[in-house]
Amino acid sequence: MAATTATIVLPGDLIPQDALPAPQNKKKVLKLGPGLRQTPPTIISASIAGALVADARKGSAWIETNSGRYTPTANDLVIATIASSAGESFNCTLTPHTPTALLPHLSFEGATRKTRPILVPNSLVYARILTASTQVSPELTCVDASTGKSDGLGQLKGGMVFGVSLGMARRMLDRRNGGVVVLEGLSEKMGFEVAVGRNGVVWVDANEVGKTLAVGRAVQEVDELGLGEKAQRKLVERVLRGVA
Amino acid sequence: MAPEASLSHLHRADGSATYIHNGYCIIGAVNGPIEVMRRDEMPEEATIEVNVRPAAGVGSPKERHLETLLHSTLRSIILTRNIPRTLVQITLQVRSLPEEDGTSGVNTSLTLLPHLLNTALLALLSASIPLRTILTSLLIALPTPTPKMKQPVPILSPTSTELFRTQPIASLHVFAFSADRKLLLSESEGTFKYAEWEEAYEMAEEVCCRDQGGVGLGGGEGMEVDGEEASANLEEWLRGVVRRKVEVEQRWRSAT
Repeated sequence: MAATTATIVLPGDLIPQDALPAPQNKKKVLKLGPGLRQTPPTIISASIAGALVADARKGSAWIETNSGRYTPTANDLVIATIASSAGESFNCTLTPHTPTALLPHLSFEGATRKTRPILVPNSLVYARILTASTQVSPELTCVDASTGKSDGLGQLKGGMVFGVSLGMARRMLDRRNGGVVVLEGLSEKMGFEVAVGRNGVVWVDANEVGKTLAVGRAVQEVDELGLGEKAQRKLVERVLRGVA
Repeated sequence: MAPEASLSHLHRADGSATYIHNGYCIIGAVNGPIEVMRRDEMPEEATIEVNVRPAAGVGSPKERHLETLLHSTLRSIILTRNIPRTLVQITLQVRSLPEEDGTSGVNTSLTLLPHLLNTALLALLSASIPLRTILTSLLIALPTPTPKMKQPVPILSPTSTELFRTQPIASLHVFAFSADRKLLLSESEGTFKYAEWEEAYEMAEEVCCRDQGGVGLGGGEGMEVDGEEASANLEEWLRGVVRRKVEVEQRWRSAT
Protein backbone atom coordinates (compact mmCIF):
# COMPACT_ATOMS: atom_id res chain seq x y z
CA MET A 1 0.00 0.00 0.00
CA ALA A 2 2.22 2.77 -1.23
CA ALA A 3 1.14 6.26 -0.32
CA THR A 4 1.55 7.90 -3.67
CA THR A 5 1.54 11.65 -3.97
CA ALA A 6 -1.89 12.26 -5.34
CA THR A 7 -2.50 14.77 -8.08
CA ILE A 8 -5.26 17.07 -6.96
CA VAL A 9 -7.58 18.28 -9.67
CA LEU A 10 -10.38 20.81 -9.62
CA PRO A 11 -13.34 20.95 -12.00
CA GLY A 12 -12.29 22.34 -15.35
CA ASP A 13 -8.65 21.33 -15.04
CA LEU A 14 -7.29 19.87 -18.26
CA ILE A 15 -5.63 16.51 -17.80
CA PRO A 16 -2.40 16.34 -19.84
CA GLN A 17 -1.71 13.29 -21.96
CA ASP A 18 1.25 12.15 -19.86
CA ALA A 19 -0.90 11.94 -16.70
CA LEU A 20 -3.17 9.41 -18.36
CA PRO A 21 -2.20 5.78 -19.01
CA ALA A 22 -0.68 5.41 -22.45
CA PRO A 23 -2.63 3.15 -24.80
CA GLN A 24 -0.75 -0.11 -25.17
CA ASN A 25 -2.29 -1.05 -28.47
CA LYS A 26 -4.88 0.24 -30.85
CA LYS A 27 -7.63 -2.02 -29.54
CA LYS A 28 -7.30 -0.99 -25.95
CA VAL A 29 -9.01 2.33 -25.54
CA LEU A 30 -8.72 4.63 -22.59
CA LYS A 31 -11.56 4.28 -20.11
CA LEU A 32 -12.71 7.34 -18.24
CA GLY A 33 -14.22 6.81 -14.82
CA PRO A 34 -16.21 9.11 -12.57
CA GLY A 35 -15.26 12.76 -12.63
CA LEU A 36 -13.59 12.86 -16.02
CA ARG A 37 -15.17 14.03 -19.24
CA GLN A 38 -14.01 14.20 -22.79
CA THR A 39 -14.52 17.15 -25.06
CA PRO A 40 -14.08 15.76 -28.56
CA PRO A 41 -11.64 15.11 -30.02
CA THR A 42 -8.89 14.83 -27.42
CA ILE A 43 -9.45 17.22 -24.54
CA ILE A 44 -9.96 15.45 -21.23
CA SER A 45 -10.94 17.54 -18.24
CA ALA A 46 -12.06 16.98 -14.68
CA SER A 47 -15.59 17.72 -13.54
CA ILE A 48 -15.27 17.08 -9.81
CA ALA A 49 -12.61 17.87 -7.23
CA GLY A 50 -10.43 15.04 -5.96
CA ALA A 51 -7.32 12.98 -6.57
CA LEU A 52 -6.57 11.81 -10.09
CA VAL A 53 -5.94 8.07 -10.24
CA ALA A 54 -4.63 6.30 -13.34
CA ASP A 55 -4.44 2.53 -13.74
CA ALA A 56 -1.94 1.71 -16.47
CA ARG A 57 -2.78 -2.01 -16.52
CA LYS A 58 -6.49 -1.49 -17.13
CA GLY A 59 -5.95 1.63 -19.20
CA SER A 60 -8.39 3.61 -17.11
CA ALA A 61 -8.39 6.85 -15.19
CA TRP A 62 -10.82 8.32 -12.71
CA ILE A 63 -11.09 10.83 -9.91
CA GLU A 64 -11.11 9.49 -6.41
CA THR A 65 -13.25 11.35 -3.94
CA ASN A 66 -15.11 10.41 -0.82
CA SER A 67 -18.04 12.75 -0.75
CA GLY A 68 -21.30 13.37 -2.45
CA ARG A 69 -24.31 11.26 -3.17
CA TYR A 70 -24.24 7.74 -4.56
CA THR A 71 -24.92 7.54 -8.29
CA PRO A 72 -26.17 4.14 -9.43
CA THR A 73 -23.78 2.37 -11.79
CA ALA A 74 -24.34 -0.95 -13.55
CA ASN A 75 -22.93 -4.02 -11.73
CA ASP A 76 -22.70 -2.31 -8.35
CA LEU A 77 -23.78 -4.29 -5.32
CA VAL A 78 -26.18 -2.26 -3.23
CA ILE A 79 -28.41 -2.64 -0.21
CA ALA A 80 -31.85 -1.45 -1.19
CA THR A 81 -34.91 -0.81 0.94
CA ILE A 82 -38.27 -1.94 -0.39
CA ALA A 83 -40.62 1.03 -0.60
CA SER A 84 -43.66 -0.62 -2.14
CA SER A 85 -44.74 -3.46 -4.37
CA ALA A 86 -46.39 -2.50 -7.62
CA GLY A 87 -47.65 -4.95 -10.21
CA GLU A 88 -44.67 -6.89 -11.49
CA SER A 89 -41.91 -5.31 -9.43
CA PHE A 90 -40.86 -3.77 -6.15
CA ASN A 91 -39.96 -0.11 -5.84
CA CYS A 92 -36.73 0.21 -3.87
CA THR A 93 -34.83 3.17 -2.50
CA LEU A 94 -31.05 3.25 -2.79
CA THR A 95 -30.49 6.73 -1.38
CA PRO A 96 -33.01 9.06 0.21
CA HIS A 97 -34.93 11.52 -1.97
CA THR A 98 -34.03 9.88 -5.28
CA PRO A 99 -36.37 8.17 -7.73
CA THR A 100 -37.00 4.55 -6.76
CA ALA A 101 -35.20 1.66 -8.41
CA LEU A 102 -37.15 -1.25 -9.89
CA LEU A 103 -36.66 -4.81 -8.66
CA PRO A 104 -38.84 -7.24 -10.68
CA HIS A 105 -40.63 -9.94 -8.67
CA LEU A 106 -39.16 -12.59 -10.92
CA SER A 107 -35.51 -11.65 -10.46
CA PHE A 108 -35.12 -13.71 -7.29
CA GLU A 109 -33.69 -17.19 -7.09
CA GLY A 110 -36.42 -19.74 -7.71
CA ALA A 111 -39.14 -17.18 -8.28
CA THR A 112 -41.86 -18.06 -10.77
CA ARG A 113 -45.16 -16.51 -11.70
CA LYS A 114 -46.86 -18.76 -9.13
CA THR A 115 -44.34 -18.38 -6.29
CA ARG A 116 -43.36 -14.79 -5.92
CA PRO A 117 -41.27 -13.50 -3.05
CA ILE A 118 -43.32 -11.56 -0.55
CA LEU A 119 -41.39 -8.58 0.78
CA VAL A 120 -43.12 -6.06 2.99
CA PRO A 121 -42.18 -2.38 2.76
CA ASN A 122 -38.96 -1.50 4.64
CA SER A 123 -37.40 -4.93 4.19
CA LEU A 124 -33.84 -4.96 2.94
CA VAL A 125 -32.47 -6.66 -0.14
CA TYR A 126 -28.91 -7.14 -1.27
CA ALA A 127 -29.05 -6.61 -5.02
CA ARG A 128 -26.97 -5.94 -8.08
CA ILE A 129 -27.68 -3.01 -10.35
CA LEU A 130 -28.58 -4.35 -13.78
CA THR A 131 -28.98 -1.14 -15.70
CA ALA A 132 -28.41 2.46 -14.73
CA SER A 133 -28.63 5.59 -16.78
CA THR A 134 -29.53 9.20 -16.32
CA GLN A 135 -32.68 8.80 -18.37
CA VAL A 136 -34.51 5.96 -16.64
CA SER A 137 -34.61 4.76 -13.06
CA PRO A 138 -32.15 1.95 -12.27
CA GLU A 139 -33.15 -1.70 -12.44
CA LEU A 140 -32.00 -4.18 -9.82
CA THR A 141 -31.69 -7.94 -9.78
CA CYS A 142 -31.07 -10.54 -7.09
CA VAL A 143 -30.19 -13.37 -9.42
CA ASP A 144 -27.43 -14.13 -11.90
CA ALA A 145 -29.21 -14.31 -15.27
CA SER A 146 -26.85 -16.96 -16.72
CA THR A 147 -26.90 -19.45 -13.83
CA GLY A 148 -30.20 -18.67 -12.14
CA LYS A 149 -28.42 -18.69 -8.77
CA SER A 150 -28.60 -15.90 -6.23
CA ASP A 151 -24.85 -15.79 -5.35
CA GLY A 152 -25.59 -14.39 -1.92
CA LEU A 153 -28.04 -11.79 -3.14
CA GLY A 154 -31.57 -11.61 -1.85
CA GLN A 155 -33.45 -10.51 1.21
CA LEU A 156 -31.44 -9.60 4.29
CA LYS A 157 -33.29 -10.93 7.32
CA GLY A 158 -32.60 -9.62 10.81
CA GLY A 159 -29.51 -7.59 11.56
CA MET A 160 -29.03 -3.84 11.39
CA VAL A 161 -27.84 -1.35 8.84
CA PHE A 162 -25.07 1.18 9.41
CA GLY A 163 -24.25 4.14 7.24
CA VAL A 164 -20.66 4.57 6.09
CA SER A 165 -19.04 6.88 3.59
CA LEU A 166 -19.00 5.87 -0.07
CA GLY A 167 -15.22 5.57 0.00
CA MET A 168 -15.38 3.18 2.96
CA ALA A 169 -17.94 1.01 1.15
CA ARG A 170 -15.63 0.84 -1.88
CA ARG A 171 -12.68 -0.05 0.33
CA MET A 172 -14.60 -2.85 2.04
CA LEU A 173 -15.61 -4.33 -1.30
CA ASP A 174 -12.07 -4.04 -2.69
CA ARG A 175 -10.49 -6.60 -0.41
CA ARG A 176 -6.95 -6.42 -1.73
CA ASN A 177 -6.24 -2.70 -1.60
CA GLY A 178 -8.91 -1.51 0.78
CA GLY A 179 -6.81 -1.77 3.92
CA VAL A 180 -9.81 -2.78 6.05
CA VAL A 181 -8.73 -5.50 8.48
CA VAL A 182 -11.22 -4.80 11.24
CA LEU A 183 -13.73 -7.41 10.01
CA GLU A 184 -11.09 -10.15 9.66
CA GLY A 185 -9.85 -9.30 13.15
CA LEU A 186 -13.30 -9.45 14.70
CA SER A 187 -14.25 -12.64 12.85
CA GLU A 188 -11.43 -14.54 14.57
CA LYS A 189 -13.28 -14.33 17.87
CA MET A 190 -16.96 -13.94 16.98
CA GLY A 191 -19.30 -14.97 14.22
CA PHE A 192 -21.31 -12.49 12.20
CA GLU A 193 -22.62 -11.83 8.72
CA VAL A 194 -21.85 -8.66 6.78
CA ALA A 195 -23.16 -7.27 3.50
CA VAL A 196 -21.66 -4.11 2.02
CA GLY A 197 -23.59 -1.95 -0.42
CA ARG A 198 -21.87 0.52 -2.69
CA ASN A 199 -24.53 3.06 -1.74
CA GLY A 200 -22.81 3.51 1.62
CA VAL A 201 -24.81 0.98 3.61
CA VAL A 202 -23.36 -1.87 5.68
CA TRP A 203 -25.64 -4.58 7.02
CA VAL A 204 -24.44 -6.58 10.00
CA ASP A 205 -26.05 -9.56 11.71
CA ALA A 206 -24.38 -11.24 14.68
CA ASN A 207 -27.55 -12.81 16.16
CA GLU A 208 -27.19 -10.63 19.25
CA VAL A 209 -27.99 -6.95 19.27
CA GLY A 210 -24.93 -6.11 21.38
CA LYS A 211 -22.53 -7.90 19.05
CA THR A 212 -24.21 -6.51 15.93
CA LEU A 213 -23.86 -2.99 17.28
CA ALA A 214 -20.24 -3.59 18.26
CA VAL A 215 -19.31 -4.72 14.74
CA GLY A 216 -21.24 -1.94 13.03
CA ARG A 217 -19.87 0.77 15.29
CA ALA A 218 -16.32 -0.54 14.79
CA VAL A 219 -16.72 -0.25 11.02
CA GLN A 220 -18.09 3.28 11.37
CA GLU A 221 -15.21 4.24 13.64
CA VAL A 222 -12.64 2.97 11.14
CA ASP A 223 -14.38 5.08 8.52
CA GLU A 224 -14.68 8.29 10.52
CA LEU A 225 -11.20 8.30 12.03
CA GLY A 226 -9.41 6.96 8.94
CA LEU A 227 -7.65 4.26 10.96
CA GLY A 228 -4.66 2.38 9.57
CA GLU A 229 -4.12 -1.35 9.97
CA LYS A 230 -2.35 -1.13 13.31
CA ALA A 231 -5.01 1.13 14.79
CA GLN A 232 -7.70 -1.20 13.45
CA ARG A 233 -6.14 -4.16 15.28
CA LYS A 234 -6.12 -2.11 18.47
CA LEU A 235 -9.78 -1.27 17.92
CA VAL A 236 -10.55 -4.98 17.41
CA GLU A 237 -8.97 -5.80 20.77
CA ARG A 238 -11.00 -3.06 22.46
CA VAL A 239 -14.26 -4.16 20.85
CA LEU A 240 -13.69 -7.84 21.72
CA ARG A 241 -13.02 -6.90 25.33
CA GLY A 242 -16.30 -5.01 25.34
CA VAL A 243 -18.50 -7.81 24.02
CA ALA A 244 -16.86 -10.71 25.88
CA MET B 1 -6.39 37.80 5.00
CA ALA B 2 -7.28 34.49 3.42
CA PRO B 3 -10.75 33.08 3.97
CA GLU B 4 -11.12 30.11 6.28
CA ALA B 5 -13.05 27.13 5.01
CA SER B 6 -14.02 23.70 6.21
CA LEU B 7 -15.64 21.13 3.94
CA SER B 8 -18.07 18.22 4.42
CA HIS B 9 -18.76 18.82 8.08
CA LEU B 10 -22.55 18.39 7.99
CA HIS B 11 -23.52 14.73 8.15
CA ARG B 12 -27.01 14.88 6.73
CA ALA B 13 -26.22 16.91 3.63
CA ASP B 14 -24.51 15.50 0.55
CA GLY B 15 -22.02 18.32 0.58
CA SER B 16 -21.38 21.19 2.93
CA ALA B 17 -18.94 23.99 3.61
CA THR B 18 -18.43 26.73 6.13
CA TYR B 19 -16.72 29.85 4.95
CA ILE B 20 -15.38 32.61 7.21
CA HIS B 21 -13.94 35.81 5.80
CA ASN B 22 -13.77 39.39 7.03
CA GLY B 23 -16.35 38.75 9.74
CA TYR B 24 -18.79 36.99 7.42
CA CYS B 25 -19.57 33.41 8.36
CA ILE B 26 -21.74 31.39 5.97
CA ILE B 27 -22.74 27.73 6.06
CA GLY B 28 -23.52 26.17 2.70
CA ALA B 29 -25.20 22.82 2.17
CA VAL B 30 -25.83 21.05 -1.11
CA ASN B 31 -28.17 18.14 -1.69
CA GLY B 32 -28.15 16.53 -5.04
CA PRO B 33 -28.77 15.07 -7.47
CA ILE B 34 -32.14 14.32 -5.88
CA GLU B 35 -35.69 13.86 -7.09
CA VAL B 36 -37.22 16.99 -8.51
CA MET B 37 -40.79 18.11 -8.21
CA ARG B 38 -42.80 17.36 -11.34
CA ARG B 39 -43.56 21.03 -11.78
CA ASP B 40 -39.86 22.00 -11.94
CA GLU B 41 -38.62 18.96 -13.84
CA MET B 42 -36.73 19.64 -17.06
CA PRO B 43 -36.31 16.75 -19.49
CA GLU B 44 -32.71 17.44 -20.41
CA GLU B 45 -31.30 19.50 -17.60
CA ALA B 46 -30.98 19.57 -13.86
CA THR B 47 -33.00 22.05 -11.87
CA ILE B 48 -31.05 24.25 -9.50
CA GLU B 49 -32.61 25.65 -6.38
CA VAL B 50 -30.82 28.28 -4.32
CA ASN B 51 -31.99 29.26 -0.85
CA VAL B 52 -30.37 32.13 0.98
CA ARG B 53 -31.24 32.42 4.65
CA PRO B 54 -30.34 35.66 6.41
CA ALA B 55 -28.58 35.79 9.78
CA ALA B 56 -31.74 37.01 11.49
CA GLY B 57 -35.38 36.77 10.54
CA VAL B 58 -36.88 35.36 7.41
CA GLY B 59 -35.90 36.06 3.83
CA SER B 60 -36.83 39.34 2.18
CA PRO B 61 -36.65 40.66 -1.40
CA LYS B 62 -32.93 41.24 -0.80
CA GLU B 63 -32.39 37.51 -0.35
CA ARG B 64 -34.60 36.74 -3.35
CA HIS B 65 -32.44 39.06 -5.45
CA LEU B 66 -29.26 37.36 -4.26
CA GLU B 67 -30.79 33.97 -5.01
CA THR B 68 -31.52 35.04 -8.59
CA LEU B 69 -27.94 36.21 -9.10
CA LEU B 70 -26.51 33.03 -7.56
CA HIS B 71 -28.86 30.85 -9.56
CA SER B 72 -27.87 32.24 -12.93
CA THR B 73 -24.16 32.24 -12.07
CA LEU B 74 -24.09 28.70 -10.69
CA ARG B 75 -26.24 27.45 -13.54
CA SER B 76 -23.46 28.42 -15.93
CA ILE B 77 -20.85 26.30 -14.16
CA ILE B 78 -22.88 23.22 -13.17
CA LEU B 79 -22.98 20.57 -15.89
CA THR B 80 -26.76 20.43 -15.78
CA ARG B 81 -27.02 18.23 -18.85
CA ASN B 82 -25.06 15.43 -17.16
CA ILE B 83 -27.71 15.01 -14.48
CA PRO B 84 -31.04 15.56 -16.25
CA ARG B 85 -34.38 15.45 -14.45
CA THR B 86 -32.81 15.97 -11.06
CA LEU B 87 -32.59 18.73 -8.51
CA VAL B 88 -29.51 20.31 -7.02
CA GLN B 89 -30.52 22.13 -3.87
CA ILE B 90 -28.15 24.74 -2.52
CA THR B 91 -28.89 26.25 0.88
CA LEU B 92 -26.79 29.10 2.18
CA GLN B 93 -27.29 30.15 5.77
CA VAL B 94 -25.63 33.39 6.83
CA ARG B 95 -24.45 32.72 10.34
CA SER B 96 -22.89 36.03 11.26
CA LEU B 97 -22.18 39.36 9.67
CA PRO B 98 -19.52 41.86 10.68
CA GLU B 99 -20.77 44.30 13.29
CA GLU B 100 -20.37 47.33 11.07
CA ASP B 101 -22.23 45.70 8.18
CA GLY B 102 -25.41 47.70 8.55
CA THR B 103 -23.67 50.99 9.32
CA SER B 104 -21.01 51.10 6.62
CA GLY B 105 -23.48 52.90 4.41
CA VAL B 106 -23.10 50.71 1.34
CA ASN B 107 -25.35 48.18 -0.35
CA THR B 108 -25.20 45.15 1.90
CA SER B 109 -26.38 42.73 -0.74
CA LEU B 110 -23.30 43.49 -2.85
CA THR B 111 -20.91 43.07 0.09
CA LEU B 112 -22.47 39.68 0.86
CA LEU B 113 -22.63 38.35 -2.70
CA PRO B 114 -18.98 37.29 -3.25
CA HIS B 115 -18.98 35.39 0.04
CA LEU B 116 -22.18 33.58 -0.90
CA LEU B 117 -20.72 32.64 -4.29
CA ASN B 118 -17.52 31.28 -2.77
CA THR B 119 -19.46 29.30 -0.15
CA ALA B 120 -21.78 27.84 -2.78
CA LEU B 121 -18.81 26.71 -4.86
CA LEU B 122 -17.11 25.04 -1.88
CA ALA B 123 -20.33 23.22 -1.01
CA LEU B 124 -20.75 22.10 -4.62
CA LEU B 125 -17.17 20.77 -4.66
CA SER B 126 -17.87 18.94 -1.42
CA ALA B 127 -21.02 17.36 -2.89
CA SER B 128 -19.09 16.25 -6.03
CA ILE B 129 -21.66 17.81 -8.33
CA PRO B 130 -20.24 17.79 -11.89
CA LEU B 131 -18.97 21.28 -12.67
CA ARG B 132 -17.71 22.81 -15.87
CA THR B 133 -15.15 24.93 -14.08
CA ILE B 134 -14.53 26.54 -10.74
CA LEU B 135 -15.48 30.04 -9.73
CA THR B 136 -13.84 32.68 -7.58
CA SER B 137 -15.49 35.89 -6.56
CA LEU B 138 -14.37 39.19 -5.12
CA LEU B 139 -15.61 42.60 -4.01
CA ILE B 140 -13.84 45.81 -5.01
CA ALA B 141 -14.60 49.27 -3.64
CA LEU B 142 -13.61 52.50 -5.38
CA PRO B 143 -13.42 55.49 -3.02
CA THR B 144 -14.56 58.92 -4.16
CA PRO B 145 -11.70 61.10 -5.48
CA THR B 146 -10.75 63.84 -3.02
CA PRO B 147 -8.74 67.03 -3.64
CA LYS B 148 -5.80 65.32 -1.95
CA MET B 149 -6.08 62.08 -3.90
CA LYS B 150 -7.25 62.53 -7.47
CA GLN B 151 -6.75 58.89 -8.33
CA PRO B 152 -8.05 56.84 -5.41
CA VAL B 153 -6.69 53.35 -5.01
CA PRO B 154 -9.32 50.61 -5.33
CA ILE B 155 -9.67 48.44 -2.23
CA LEU B 156 -9.69 44.69 -2.82
CA SER B 157 -12.16 42.68 -0.72
CA PRO B 158 -12.56 45.48 1.82
CA THR B 159 -13.64 44.72 5.36
CA SER B 160 -16.65 46.53 6.73
CA THR B 161 -14.39 48.72 8.85
CA GLU B 162 -12.43 49.77 5.78
CA LEU B 163 -15.65 50.60 3.95
CA PHE B 164 -16.80 52.61 6.94
CA ARG B 165 -13.55 54.56 7.16
CA THR B 166 -13.18 55.35 3.45
CA GLN B 167 -16.52 57.07 3.16
CA PRO B 168 -17.84 58.12 0.77
CA ILE B 169 -17.52 55.15 -1.55
CA ALA B 170 -17.96 56.06 -5.21
CA SER B 171 -18.75 52.58 -6.48
CA LEU B 172 -18.79 48.92 -5.50
CA HIS B 173 -18.08 46.07 -7.89
CA VAL B 174 -18.49 42.33 -7.52
CA PHE B 175 -16.72 40.09 -10.01
CA ALA B 176 -16.78 36.35 -10.43
CA PHE B 177 -14.32 34.55 -12.67
CA SER B 178 -14.06 31.02 -13.94
CA ALA B 179 -10.73 29.17 -13.91
CA ASP B 180 -10.10 30.07 -17.55
CA ARG B 181 -10.38 33.77 -16.74
CA LYS B 182 -13.84 34.25 -18.13
CA LEU B 183 -16.08 36.77 -16.43
CA LEU B 184 -19.12 35.01 -14.99
CA LEU B 185 -20.72 37.78 -13.01
CA SER B 186 -20.28 41.52 -12.75
CA GLU B 187 -22.48 43.54 -10.46
CA SER B 188 -21.74 47.20 -9.91
CA GLU B 189 -23.28 50.01 -8.00
CA GLY B 190 -22.50 53.73 -7.79
CA THR B 191 -20.99 56.22 -10.19
CA PHE B 192 -17.97 55.20 -12.18
CA LYS B 193 -16.37 55.60 -15.55
CA TYR B 194 -15.70 52.73 -17.90
CA ALA B 195 -11.93 53.12 -17.35
CA GLU B 196 -12.43 52.77 -13.60
CA TRP B 197 -14.52 49.66 -14.08
CA GLU B 198 -11.86 48.20 -16.33
CA GLU B 199 -9.15 48.90 -13.78
CA ALA B 200 -11.21 47.18 -11.10
CA TYR B 201 -11.89 44.28 -13.47
CA GLU B 202 -8.19 43.77 -14.14
CA MET B 203 -7.34 43.92 -10.44
CA ALA B 204 -10.03 41.39 -9.61
CA GLU B 205 -8.88 39.08 -12.39
CA GLU B 206 -5.35 39.20 -11.00
CA VAL B 207 -6.51 38.13 -7.55
CA CYS B 208 -9.15 35.61 -8.59
CA CYS B 209 -7.29 33.69 -11.27
CA ARG B 210 -3.79 32.47 -11.01
CA ASP B 211 -1.10 32.91 -13.62
CA GLN B 212 -1.76 31.06 -16.79
CA GLY B 213 0.85 28.36 -17.15
CA GLY B 214 0.79 24.97 -15.50
CA VAL B 215 -2.61 23.44 -14.97
CA GLY B 216 -1.97 22.31 -11.45
CA LEU B 217 -0.64 18.89 -12.36
CA GLY B 218 2.75 17.57 -11.49
CA GLY B 219 4.55 18.24 -8.23
CA GLY B 220 5.73 21.70 -9.26
CA GLU B 221 3.66 23.67 -6.81
CA GLY B 222 4.46 23.61 -3.13
CA MET B 223 2.92 20.91 -1.00
CA GLU B 224 2.03 23.24 1.84
CA VAL B 225 0.31 26.49 1.14
CA ASP B 226 1.37 28.99 3.73
CA GLY B 227 -0.68 31.94 4.85
CA GLU B 228 0.68 34.72 2.66
CA GLU B 229 0.76 32.69 -0.50
CA ALA B 230 -2.78 31.52 -0.01
CA SER B 231 -4.11 34.99 0.60
CA ALA B 232 -2.53 36.33 -2.55
CA ASN B 233 -4.63 34.34 -4.93
CA LEU B 234 -8.13 32.95 -4.57
CA GLU B 235 -7.64 30.04 -6.95
CA GLU B 236 -4.49 28.95 -5.13
CA TRP B 237 -6.44 29.19 -1.89
CA LEU B 238 -9.19 27.01 -3.33
CA ARG B 239 -6.67 24.40 -4.39
CA GLY B 240 -5.25 24.41 -0.89
CA VAL B 241 -8.70 23.78 0.58
CA VAL B 242 -9.33 20.87 -1.78
CA ARG B 243 -5.86 19.45 -1.15
CA ARG B 244 -6.55 19.39 2.59
CA LYS B 245 -9.91 17.69 1.97
CA VAL B 246 -8.28 14.98 -0.16
CA GLU B 247 -5.57 14.50 2.45
CA VAL B 248 -8.21 13.90 5.14
CA GLU B 249 -10.02 11.43 2.88
CA GLN B 250 -6.86 9.53 2.02
CA ARG B 251 -5.26 9.51 5.46
CA TRP B 252 -6.05 5.80 5.94
CA ARG B 253 -3.49 5.05 3.23
CA SER B 254 -0.65 6.48 5.27
CA ALA B 255 -2.03 5.75 8.75
CA THR B 256 -0.53 2.89 10.70
